[in-house]
Amino acid sequence: MSKSICIVFNKAPYGSQAGRELLDIALMAAAFDMPITAIFTGQGVYQLINNQQPDILNIKNHSATFKALPLYDIEQILVDQNALHQFNLSQNDLLGIDELQYVSADVIKSRIANSDFVLTL
Amino acid sequence: MATFSLLVTANPYSSQGQFSAIEFARTLLEQGHNLLRVFFYADGVLVASRLHAPPADEINLTKSWAKLAIEKDIELIACVTAANKRGIVNASEAERNALTGDNLDPAFEISGLGQLTEAMLESDRVITFG
Repeated sequence: MSKSICIVFNKAPYGSQAGRELLDIALMAAAFDMPITAIFTGQGVYQLINNQQPDILNIKNHSATFKALPLYDIEQILVDQNALHQFNLSQNDLLGIDELQYVSADVIKSRIANSDFVLTL
Repeated sequence: MATFSLLVTANPYSSQGQFSAIEFARTLLEQGHNLLRVFFYADGVLVASRLHAPPADEINLTKSWAKLAIEKDIELIACVTAANKRGIVNASEAERNALTGDNLDPAFEISGLGQLTEAMLESDRVITFG
């Protein structure tokens, strides 16, 4: 069986390139048929927020690519429920992706513990 | 004995990450482990420029990586997308983009993100230095 990866998005978009460059790693690993879990925690939940307008800042909008994750067979997408609460966000504030799973920190911890590799930027 | 690869994303000289990565690489080799590849990504690619000129009494990170790569036969690979946009180019990328010069240190190679994925498939551990 191929090795599994957790990719942890924990930074808000646009203040740094971390989200976009991590997304590129996820898509490339998916092309190698590695089982991937994308995890959104901390300020990383802002990566998934709806109606992003980074063009105002002359920055390319990478959020549409998150919607395409299931097309790349990345169907395990975990969103930290506590992080959403912390930033006063609800599921309605996020991109419409059917595969989003709203989970507790314990679920995220065990998924990370059971992965061969964990990457974040 | 395990096979390691490193993912280095730290900005050289601005943070400790690259220094730590070199020490980690040396130590794991001393302990008899294998180091398959060092993959440079995000701001980490900046170390692949041969034009860094730190003060004479400070460590030159590019030369430190190059020494390790030559002595121990380690692959040093910088992601092409991350490198090109940060001004790190080899001769062929310079020509392709109609640039006036190239600056990739000869100890480093430019390649794609697939090399990071391959490193994961072929290594027991991938350690990130950011």
